Amino acid sequence: MTRFIDIAHEYGLWETRELTIESCWQGLGAHADVLKQQHLKDLMLQDGRFDALSFGHEGLLLDLSRQRLLPQTLDKLMELAQASDLPGWIEALFQGEAVNNTEQRPALHTALRLPASATLQVAGEDVVPKVHANLERMAQMVDMLHSGQWRGYTGEPIDTVVNIGVGGSDLGPMMACRALDEFEPEQAKSIEVHFVSSMDGSQLAALLEQLNPATTLFIVSSKSFTTMDTLANAATARRWLQDASELRDEVLVSRHFIAVTASPEKARQWGIPLASQLHFWDWTGGRYSMWSTIGLPIALKIGIDNFQELLAGAHSLDEHFRHTPLQQNLPVLLAMVGIWNINFLDIHAHAILPYDGRLAHLPAYLEQLEMESNGKSVRRDGTASTHRTCPVLWGEVGPNAQHAFYQLLHQGTEPVMCDFVVSARRYTGQRETLQRQHQLSLANCLAQARVLALGDAALGADQDNSQPWQRYRGNQPSTVILLDELTPRALGSLIALYEHKVFVQSVIWGINPFDQWGVELGKTMATQLLAVLDSGDHPRASFDQATNGLLAAIGARRSDTGASS
Amino acid sequence: MKIAVWGDELAAWVAAAQLAAFGNDVCVSLSHADTAVASIRPGQSSVQAEPGLMGLLETAIAQGNLSTALAHESLDASVYWLAMAPDEEEQAIALVRRLAQRTDAPLLLINQSNFGIGASDKLQALLNQRAGQNVICLPDTLQQGSALSQFGRPQSLLVGCEDEAGLALLKALLRPFVGGVQSLQMMTRREAEFTKFAITGMLALRLGYINELANLADLLSVDIEVVREGMGSDERIGRHYLAPGCGFGGQHFTQYIEGLAGLFSEKRRSTLLDTVLTENQRQMELPFRKLWQHFECDLQGKTVALWGLAFKPGVASIDNAPALRTIDALLAQGAQVRLHDPEALPEVRERYGNNARLQYCADKYDAAQGADALLLLTEWPEYWSPDFVRLAQALRTRVIVDGRNIYDPALLRAQGFDYYGIGRL
Repeated sequence: MTRFIDIAHEYGLWETRELTIESCWQGLGAHADVLKQQHLKDLMLQDGRFDALSFGHEGLLLDLSRQRLLPQTLDKLMELAQASDLPGWIEALFQGEAVNNTEQRPALHTALRLPASATLQVAGEDVVPKVHANLERMAQMVDMLHSGQWRGYTGEPIDTVVNIGVGGSDLGPMMACRALDEFEPEQAKSIEVHFVSSMDGSQLAALLEQLNPATTLFIVSSKSFTTMDTLANAATARRWLQDASELRDEVLVSRHFIAVTASPEKARQWGIPLASQLHFWDWTGGRYSMWSTIGLPIALKIGIDNFQELLAGAHSLDEHFRHTPLQQNLPVLLAMVGIWNINFLDIHAHAILPYDGRLAHLPAYLEQLEMESNGKSVRRDGTASTHRTCPVLWGEVGPNAQHAFYQLLHQGTEPVMCDFVVSARRYTGQRETLQRQHQLSLANCLAQARVLALGDAALGADQDNSQPWQRYRGNQPSTVILLDELTPRALGSLIALYEHKVFVQSVIWGINPFDQWGVELGKTMATQLLAVLDSGDHPRASFDQATNGLLAAIGARRSDTGASS
Repeated sequence: MKIAVWGDELAAWVAAAQLAAFGNDVCVSLSHADTAVASIRPGQSSVQAEPGLMGLLETAIAQGNLSTALAHESLDASVYWLAMAPDEEEQAIALVRRLAQRTDAPLLLINQSNFGIGASDKLQALLNQRAGQNVICLPDTLQQGSALSQFGRPQSLLVGCEDEAGLALLKALLRPFVGGVQSLQMMTRREAEFTKFAITGMLALRLGYINELANLADLLSVDIEVVREGMGSDERIGRHYLAPGCGFGGQHFTQYIEGLAGLFSEKRRSTLLDTVLTENQRQMELPFRKLWQHFECDLQGKTVALWGLAFKPGVASIDNAPALRTIDALLAQGAQVRLHDPEALPEVRERYGNNARLQYCADKYDAAQGADALLLLTEWPEYWSPDFVRLAQALRTRVIVDGRNIYDPALLRAQGFDYYGIGRL
């Protein structure tokens, strides 16, 4: 941020800029006061609304026509973006400036998908060759595994890969593997990929029951290589191997573990030799890391060629984000409509609703991306935010959610904004019944967006005769993101769209989306409590009553069991 | 008789050579346009390498009994001998259809191709049976390496024939060869096809079973050789196809088993033979795994000698040979590989080309020179009794993995070798 403050001071512009931003907020507030009086069903009567409010890039259509706004609202929102120097921030992001100000480093997920021919100087070094060298190493490992030449301790080829990671080291790869399962190439079919994240070992324990230690490889994915959830799971996996083989631990670890990390030395200390490591860098945030070697499970699942397509799709959206005027810029539009809903229409719940079972893990992925990035109340300059920031975000595969929480969307008291994600084409050339199922899913997607917007009016006829509990008030805004079809390239674009949307909103709110200080204190407390649980030395004077009370209750229940058994 | 032979399989060339040698006027069909006499030779190098075959073909050409034509132009014979590849069924159907359009004269079509069960009936349906156009299914029982003598002096014949006149013609055709036949069994074409699959499947099951037993013996400290002799002494079991080893290969055998496995899977959802095939693939890597474990999972920079690359002794063919999987695995682990085989080196070189980490050695002791281990993969006679003193001197470390159980473990260990067999103590 210093850059802009300096420039502003230098040119005496600081006052002016603040005034401009403030006047934009005020203008939008006044505009909102008028629009709030209008029901979405009336806005939707305008001619040419769909054409004016839908935007495209490659195989991606962003339909904003069910938002509670007018085309001129977008103009006002873009003025706010302009006044907030969004174009300057976009350049700063792409050029590798230290946009992560609290940790004094850049956020270069966009560098991870640059083509090999590009260059990007960061701190006097071109990072593109480093990125591609690591991609190349990853491709070699994938090739070894796909060709059945990565051998376990008996010499059998590895046929099962378990990704141990949590947060960004889990959600992105798991989401992408699920989404792109049908793109699995022939050579990848010999490898089964699993994901394990939960700290308590419940996923891992169940999985290990079914796996063959001689043919199982673990990917330990941790940027810092200190994540306790991940290391606890990795230790259990290591013990399982030791129990299965008489070989030295060093040999077992070197053949059955790959580390993906930004801390090579820590991974080496844990026992994984450099030859079995893949790296990325501290300038890649965990929740922005599926494009890096953290994407190894994705590459294993869909093959390196498809992984490259995923990167290419994201890069294409990067270029669009960087070079397209704000008024036509998809991430900017998506973000600013969010700002409108959150800050001007007072909507603080956001549902992610893919109408496609392949995108089942997309809501969880976006929950982290959005809420860990923008779930903040302190601005870059240390002052408290005067605006509401990231809403509560959740979601589910749409047709399933219809049988779960849509009741609240349709008749609850909470205003909720929804993102529908669906593809136009699916099952092309496949069984007719399957094509029928996609048709059904599409119909439901369109129907729900329509009913949420229009309410009773969707039926056309007069609904005044229906009972109060049969009424639908409508007026819930939604965005439809329509993919031509779900391909690796389209998924890359879709995820990059949300990444940049999050960044745009952070610029408007003046917060740093690339740190996550809010998750640190809990880790420190857990370490303290682990020691107390281990020692049984409580109550502690320094603890609150509630904690001491629970510690005593747990202690009592454990000693009971011990006595009776 | 005027005989047209269709196909480029071993069975086609053996039939052509043998029938021509007895004065028949044989025309082999070629898929390419070059019909010059000089180009009459098998397309597959493994067929060319069949002992005695090329000599017999040359003699037949010199005597004027062997000519060539494009398949769809050699349609004026009285006997058609089909030995085409499993994936050529459509071509076969097209040819027979053309033949049916061209003539109503009596003819005999002998099918030896592995087109699956019911294929011969399908061909018969294209012809005019009432006019004496008959299809006989004569399952091909040739084994690579001794195919000429098996054709020339068969001990038994299975004949899928449903017409007396057709059988008479076949007998006339095979008269020079069938003097030693102890059993000739007549059956329907469908039954003959099925029987061929059944025999091959049985052999595969026996090999798969003995290999499974050997692997289990390895884990239970039992010597499989002793067990095998015990099993073989039971007359219900016998001794054939009970030698454990590092997997079976060969194109023909594998194609039939794959075909039958496919039928089991499709019609019965049975994985019986699929399992045999999968386990056989694993078995091919067993010598590699023993080596891998010996060197504690690290073969980087090691030098490994391989003796025997052909899929079995007596052939130059490396189709589905365990050596291929072994070479691939060793190269992937960064090892140097020194290769020896009395016959198959040219085929291996054709497949792998020049590779700095592969040495093709004309002499078996040269292959062992400086190696960290020797893997025996094919039991060629010349490997059975090597000069172990010389071998010990050549090897850098005395490690032998005997993929065919041809050595005496005690003898080798007494000479300072680390010995690993298949299920040997």
